[in-house]
Amino acid sequence: MRTLVPLLLALFAICLAQQQTLDEKVQNLADLTARQSIVKFNMDKWKNLVRMQPRNYSMIVMFTALSPGVNCPICKPAYDEFMIVANSHRYTSSESDRKKVFFGVVDYEDAPQIFQQMNLNTAPILYHFGAKLSAKKKPEQMDFQRQGFDADAIGRFVQDQTEVHIRVIRPPNYTAPVVIALFVSLLLGMLYVKRNSLDFLFNRTMWGFVCMAITFIFMSGQMWNHIRGPPFMITNPNTKEPSFIHGSTQFQLIAETYIVGILYALVAVGFICVNEAADQANGKDKRNQQKKANPLSSLFSIPANTQISPTMLPNFPALAIVGLVFICVFFSFLLSVFRSKYRGYPYSFLFS
Amino acid sequence: MITASRSSQLGATTLLTIVILALAWFVGFASRLFAIVRFESIIHEFDPWFNYRATHHMVQHGFYKFLNWFDERAWYPLGRIVGGTVYPGLMVTSGLIHWILDSLNFHVHIREVCVFLAPTFSGLTAIATYLLTKELWSPGAGLFAACFIAISPGYTSRSVAGSYDNEGIAIFALQFTYYLWVKSLKTGSIMWASLCALSYFYMVSAWGGYVFIINLIPLHALALIVMGRYSSRLFVSYTSFYCLATILSMQVPFVGFQPVRTSEHMPAFGVFGLLQIVALMHYARNRITRQQFMTLFVGGLTILGGLAVVVYFALVWGGYVAPFSGRFYSLWDTGYAKIHIPIIASVSEHQPTTWVSFFFDLHITAAVFPVGLWYCIKKVNDERVFIILYAVSAVYFAGVMVRLMLTLTPAVCVLAGIGFSYTFEKYLKDEETKERSSSQSTNTKDEKLYDKAAKNVKSRNAADGEETAVSGNVRTVISIILVIFLLMFVVHATYVTSNAYSHPSVVLQSSTSNGDRIIMDDFREAYHWLRENTADDARIMSWWDYGYQIAGMANRTTLVDNNTWNNSHIALVGKAMSSNESAAYEIMTELDVDYILVIFGGVIGYSGDDINKFLWMVRIAQGEHPKDIREENYFTASGEYSTGAGASETMLNCLMYKMSYYRFGETRVGYNQAGGFDRTRGYVIGKKDITLEYIEEAYTTENWLVRIYKRKKLPNRPTVKEATIPIKGKKAAQGKNKKGVIRTAKA
Repeated sequence: MRTLVPLLLALFAICLAQQQTLDEKVQNLADLTARQSIVKFNMDKWKNLVRMQPRNYSMIVMFTALSPGVNCPICKPAYDEFMIVANSHRYTSSESDRKKVFFGVVDYEDAPQIFQQMNLNTAPILYHFGAKLSAKKKPEQMDFQRQGFDADAIGRFVQDQTEVHIRVIRPPNYTAPVVIALFVSLLLGMLYVKRNSLDFLFNRTMWGFVCMAITFIFMSGQMWNHIRGPPFMITNPNTKEPSFIHGSTQFQLIAETYIVGILYALVAVGFICVNEAADQANGKDKRNQQKKANPLSSLFSIPANTQISPTMLPNFPALAIVGLVFICVFFSFLLSVFRSKYRGYPYSFLFS
Repeated sequence: MITASRSSQLGATTLLTIVILALAWFVGFASRLFAIVRFESIIHEFDPWFNYRATHHMVQHGFYKFLNWFDERAWYPLGRIVGGTVYPGLMVTSGLIHWILDSLNFHVHIREVCVFLAPTFSGLTAIATYLLTKELWSPGAGLFAACFIAISPGYTSRSVAGSYDNEGIAIFALQFTYYLWVKSLKTGSIMWASLCALSYFYMVSAWGGYVFIINLIPLHALALIVMGRYSSRLFVSYTSFYCLATILSMQVPFVGFQPVRTSEHMPAFGVFGLLQIVALMHYARNRITRQQFMTLFVGGLTILGGLAVVVYFALVWGGYVAPFSGRFYSLWDTGYAKIHIPIIASVSEHQPTTWVSFFFDLHITAAVFPVGLWYCIKKVNDERVFIILYAVSAVYFAGVMVRLMLTLTPAVCVLAGIGFSYTFEKYLKDEETKERSSSQSTNTKDEKLYDKAAKNVKSRNAADGEETAVSGNVRTVISIILVIFLLMFVVHATYVTSNAYSHPSVVLQSSTSNGDRIIMDDFREAYHWLRENTADDARIMSWWDYGYQIAGMANRTTLVDNNTWNNSHIALVGKAMSSNESAAYEIMTELDVDYILVIFGGVIGYSGDDINKFLWMVRIAQGEHPKDIREENYFTASGEYSTGAGASETMLNCLMYKMSYYRFGETRVGYNQAGGFDRTRGYVIGKKDITLEYIEEAYTTENWLVRIYKRKKLPNRPTVKEATIPIKGKKAAQGKNKKGVIRTAKA
């Protein structure tokens, strides 16, 4: 009996220690979030601060797996966005709001028991444990699939759940300006180095290539790719056959836009070959004048043309015919790619 | 003798030019008539109905009454100041044509003028394109370009008969302004620059796209300065153009002071200032020493440039100059509209362009226009810089937004015209000169190569005569194949115009299994019913897409329409549509709604109906009323959007669902299909026994396409149930909602 009383007392004391009062809990949380904006939970803190009443505050808890051993590619970005919200909350919300909502994170590595207790197999998951939520109830979950997990969406979720408005302040992202600044300084540096011969700025061939590249890029729908972010290609789940061309006019794959861009370019090159051939033939006929090596013909043309010796004049029909073949074949290809997407289009050329 | 032959040649060329342009006009006009031949002379789609209504009003009441017109039939109860919120060029143009015809005693209804306006202007566009290309390259290229633009699907899409919209005349004004600008730059004459400003004024009065011109022309001037191509011609033409154009454009009521108060117009002003400095520089260069010159201008330029930037930001900050608008940002930052302006993002015309639509609208010209661009760059001069800049910027804009394909098409046609004419000039014209010269030339060196290339093994003795023959063959083959491509373009353009761009969308067409055409005229049936059977001041609630049509065809008051200027009003209508009956009743009472109109395609399988647009209504309503409307409540448990078996309770009880599917469960669309099978969405609906408490069915058209409901008047002792919008897992109807409830009397 004498031994029992201190034992009971000790037990009671332990219980008391665990059963913190509400004020203590809030104070505890405030202390924890004073230095960093997120509470990292282990089993003790978890039981105490989240799962045990009384509480008058909401906990927003992210369950995640950040250790590199776990294969979770979206955990890190989701955690970063979550941190942005938590930091904004810490710095911008009013005192009373900060007493109402706390942010926490449970890492699988630190506390796998909590995951088991909550019956979780996936990560990341964001839960809201409302102030009145009793121990065994299931908390509100944020639907990452539909709402996404960027900071604004999380902020909206918090506002919906707790009516605490968090002004999300994103730390400015300096990568884009830095990259642009680097690029510009590189360009200026190059210009400075070459300041004695700025002829290349007046090089029409270069400008021609730049402009044509721009037109091909946009006409092949790269802007659409940039905005919609389609997959490069898709693999048929049944036959495992990869397909480069999507069957609908409303959608496109990255692979097919490359194909189309190249086809456009080849048709244009074919046209230019045809014209160049005529130009050279005319020049030859008229004055037999010596031509400078044409940068274009040396770039695109056929073997017969590359061995032009100063005495031998460019081969007009060969270049013209090659150009013509380019136009016909590649435009037909383009047409057939188009037909494969636009069902019921009746016209084709060379290939069906 | 020589002069006579030359003048006859000139006469023949002129005659040919006129004939070709006339034919281009005729073909352009004729190919745009598919819709009229198939249906009837009718205004298409949505916006044209407003334009038609406004034109009709103007013709009836006169121009000044039109400028002061306050339309109380739109945006009830707010109304709309029409005179100050439209580009009047379109209405004035057709009013003028109507007036001319009238005074010549050709009495036609204004509707016919409106229907045929766009096809008529396509011919004028072709002529303007001819003139522009002629200035840029050659008359031959001009003829090619004119023929291209006459039938190019990218332009036809906005200018078929009945599509009575601003773009129809704006593209003509655009091309003509560019022509006059190039002309004035070439001549450096004030006259051409003034004409250019006048044409620009017409463009401003016709279409909001004038901003493209007022930025492209300064860009051209800037590029010329940077390239060191400054000339007094540029100075004269730009300064006179800018001053006149700014003053003139401010005369359009809708534009008002924008040219001096918005950032979109500031680049033009900046270039104007820069041009003065450059002119001063050129003046001073010969009069002071080099040393003085450098200090003066390097120092002066830095200070002035810095000052200009500071002043600009100060003005923006002080609110004297409006910053760039959201529409402008969305062109550069492609994610902008999606986040900040959902109502812009929701319009299908504002989506980015797939490569398919590029090819669909441009066909062979898409592949050839880079060739024209290439030669313009290779043989660059002052005015070709313009078309280069135009093409490159337009191709970017067209990539960002489907709608801006319209501004790309003229540039493509001009450059493709240049590309084709360049080739044909080489391959058709030179044949005779070659034949003449071939007798003198002795190009024996080429003989071997020719034989190989033409795969034509012949004896070497005949090589000399052979050469011209073979090369002639190659020339012929190439010419013929290019002509084949051109024919393919014509066939393609006709196919596209006929199949894709000639649907009035007011009248639907489908075909039976044995190929007969069925015309479904439900829209006009419903609007006619409204016109005949409702009070003159009845208010019709519908989604904004149909506002213009209801106003135009039924002549009744609408709450929201296609001029989506008031987002919160639209959100209110969206909220009514997505609330349950009692909550919707409250909103409708507040807005004095008498009838509600919904479009329902479930019976005939029409996919553009309100159920398919419903999510946008919910989203827009949620943007303004996040407490009451939640998008996720309208999804099934698995997160899909469905009105079928798994549909959520909120969905099944919302007004839109009830109105669309009221009594639909009793119908059978096929022999072996269950009742209530929705053909558009391909499943049986979730709830068949729908009862309506506060509204009643007033009219349903033949194919159920349009359904009209009447808001019931309350009985003497009002018994509206408590207006609640249950929100999943949340305290429903807290605070704000309860306020407006009419207390339930114990019945």
